Amino acid sequence: MGEQATALRGQLRSLVAEQLPADFMGAFTDDPADLAAAQQFCRTLAEQGLLCMSWPAEFGGRDASVWEQTVVREEMWAHHEPRGAQYMGVNWVGPIIMRHGTPEQQQRHLPPIANGEVIWCQGFSEPEAGSDLASLRTTARRDGDGWLVSGQKIWTSYATMAQWCFLLARTSKEDKKQQGLTIFLVPMSDPAIQVRPIRCIMGPHHLNEVFFDDLRVTEADVLGEIGAGWSIVQDVLSFERVGIARYARCEKLLNDAPRALGAAWGELPDELRARWTRMLVHCRRARLLAYRLVELQSKGQVRPGDASGYRIAVTKLDQDSAEVLMEIIAAADVDDPGVRRFRDEVEDHWRYSQASTVSSGSIEMQRILLSRALLAAS
Amino acid sequence: MILDLSPEADEFGRQALRAFESAGGDELLQQAEAKPFDREALVGGVLGDLGAWDLEPRADSDSLEAAAALCRSAGYWALPYPVAERLSRPTTGDTAGLLVVAETNPSAPVVGVRLPWTAVTLAGQSRTVVGTSAARPGFVAELELSSTTAEAPDDVALGLVLPCWTLLGMLDRALALTIEHVRLRQQFGQPLSKFQSVQFQLTDAEVERSGLEILAKHALWSAGPSSGTSAAEALDDALALRMAAIEAAEVVFRVCHQLHGAVGFCDETTLSWLSRYSQPLRRLPFGLSATRDLLTARIDGRGLTGLYAG
Repeated sequence: MGEQATALRGQLRSLVAEQLPADFMGAFTDDPADLAAAQQFCRTLAEQGLLCMSWPAEFGGRDASVWEQTVVREEMWAHHEPRGAQYMGVNWVGPIIMRHGTPEQQQRHLPPIANGEVIWCQGFSEPEAGSDLASLRTTARRDGDGWLVSGQKIWTSYATMAQWCFLLARTSKEDKKQQGLTIFLVPMSDPAIQVRPIRCIMGPHHLNEVFFDDLRVTEADVLGEIGAGWSIVQDVLSFERVGIARYARCEKLLNDAPRALGAAWGELPDELRARWTRMLVHCRRARLLAYRLVELQSKGQVRPGDASGYRIAVTKLDQDSAEVLMEIIAAADVDDPGVRRFRDEVEDHWRYSQASTVSSGSIEMQRILLSRALLAAS
Repeated sequence: MILDLSPEADEFGRQALRAFESAGGDELLQQAEAKPFDREALVGGVLGDLGAWDLEPRADSDSLEAAAALCRSAGYWALPYPVAERLSRPTTGDTAGLLVVAETNPSAPVVGVRLPWTAVTLAGQSRTVVGTSAARPGFVAELELSSTTAEAPDDVALGLVLPCWTLLGMLDRALALTIEHVRLRQQFGQPLSKFQSVQFQLTDAEVERSGLEILAKHALWSAGPSSGTSAAEALDDALALRMAAIEAAEVVFRVCHQLHGAVGFCDETTLSWLSRYSQPLRRLPFGLSATRDLLTARIDGRGLTGLYAG
C-alpha cells in the first residue's frame, strides 16, 4: 500500500486510542455521550486534515491516494466507525455535491461537511420501493415557483440526528419510471418533516421512518437537473461500490479472539478453531478482492460484475464470521472486563451483520448484476 | 502483494492456451487416458516449444508469474501432464520436479511420466521417488520413496501453490462451459440462463472462482523470490490458498454439474473429464479437512499475516 498509507494507519490507530472512550462501540447507542464522542472525533479528524482527505484540494481535501482512502475505511470500520453518521457526508454526499451542485450549494454544504459539523441522511427507500427504488411514490408537485413534497421514506439511517436530507422524489410521470425523478437537498429542521425511529436489531437510532407533509422546496434546493435524479442515484451508487470495509472489523475481531480468551482458547473444540482459521482465510479473500476493486476503480477499469462479486463475498463473510465469533465467546470467562468488552463487540457485530446482505443493495441485487455480467461476457 | 499478473505473463498464458488447443485441445486428455505412458510424447513437445522448462520460477518474479499463467492454461485444457510439479522443481540436484506428499501413503499424478522426481513433506523432509505403484484414476500412483531423507533444499510453498493455479484453470473452464451451456439449453421454452435460480447458482460459482484467483496471486507473490516473506509465512499462505482452492472447486464443480444436467456426466461433454481429473489436485497431498487442520495447527492463536494479526 505504500509508506504514506502505512503511516496513516498508525496515525489513525493512535487517534482512536487517544480520543475515544475505552468502551466506545459506535455513535448510535442510547447514551448521548457516544454521539458526542463521535462528533468530537470528527472535529479532531477535520482539524488534522484527515476527515476529508480523499476530497480534491480545491474543496479543502488532500487528494489522498486510493490506498490512503482504503486505510481510512478499514481503520474506521474496524474501530466501530467513530465518524458516526458523518462518514456518509464525507464518502458520497460531499463528492456528489461537488459534481452536481451549484456554486451556491457547494459553498453552503461542503464546508460544514469538511469541518465535521453536519450529519446527512439519505431519503431513498420507501415502503413500496426498496430494491426497486425507481417505483418510489414520494411526490414533489408544482406549487408556484417551487414544489410541495409529500410522501414517506423508510429505513432512513441517522434521520433523528441529521440536519440535512438527500431526498429523491418524483417530479413528473414519464414513460419509464427511472425518468421524472429529482434530488432535493432539504433541511430536516422543517416542521413539514416528521421522523419516527424504528427500534431494530442493530440497536437504537439506526433506522427511521421519515414523513413529508407538503414540504416546500424551491429551485435552489434542486441538485442537478430537474428529472435527472436517477443518474445522480447511479453516481451515488458508484461511490458505494467498495462500500464500508466490513472485512476489517471481521479480521480485527477474529484476531482479537485468542487474546481475549487467553487460556480458554486452547480449550475450544478443534472444529471451532478450524472454522476460525477458515474465516481468517475468507477475510483475506474479501480484503484482496476489495483491493483489486480499488485498483480497477483507480484506473477506471471496473466492470459491472467486479463490485457485485466482492459485495457478495464480503457480506457473507460478515455473517459467517459473526456466527463463528458468537460460538467462541460462549466459551469466554465473562468475569474478566477485557473479555466482557470483547463479548459486547462480538454481539454488536453479530447484530449488525444480519443486515449486511440487505442494506446498501441486497445480495439478490448483487447476484442479478453479477449474473448479468457473466452471461453478457460469454 | 500482486493483484494481477503482469501483462507479459497474461500474454504468455494466452499463447499457451492457443498452443494447447492446436496440439489437440480436449482430445489430449482422452488420448492420455487411453495410453498414460504416452503422456510425455503427447504434450512434451508443445511444452518444450513454449519454453516451459526454461522458466525459473524460484529465481525470478517474471518466471514465477509466467509459470503460474502456464499452469492455469494447462488446467483450462486439463493438460495430461504434471506441469506444476515440474515447474516447482528444486534449484539444486538433478531432479525433474517436486511432489509435495503426505506423511502417509505418499501419492502423486505421475503415472507414465518417467522422470527423476523428488518428494517432499510439509515438514521439509525430502526423498527420492524410486518406484511407483500401478495406476489409479487420474494418473495417480502411490510412490515408493528412498529410505534416506534430506532437508528439502527449497521452500515447499511453491509446490503447493502452482497446482492451485492448475486447479484455477480448470474452474475457469468449467464455469465458461457451463455459462455456454445454460445460454443454449432450452427448457420450458426459454434458455436456462433466463431462470433466476440458474443465474444465482452461477454467481455462487463465480464468487468462489474469483476468490480463489485473488488468493492464488497473493500466495504466488508470497512464495516468490521478491516478497521478503519467510518460508514459514509463505507456507501459511500456500495452505490458506489450498484450503480456499478445494472449497472453491467443490462449489464450482457442484454448480457446473447441476446446471449441465445429465449430459454433464457423459464423456461427450468436457465437464465430465475436467471434473474427474480435478480430483488429484483436490485430494493430494491432503484434502480439505486435513489442509484446514494443518493450517490451524500452524497459525492457531496467532492468525494469518494481515491487518490485525497477533
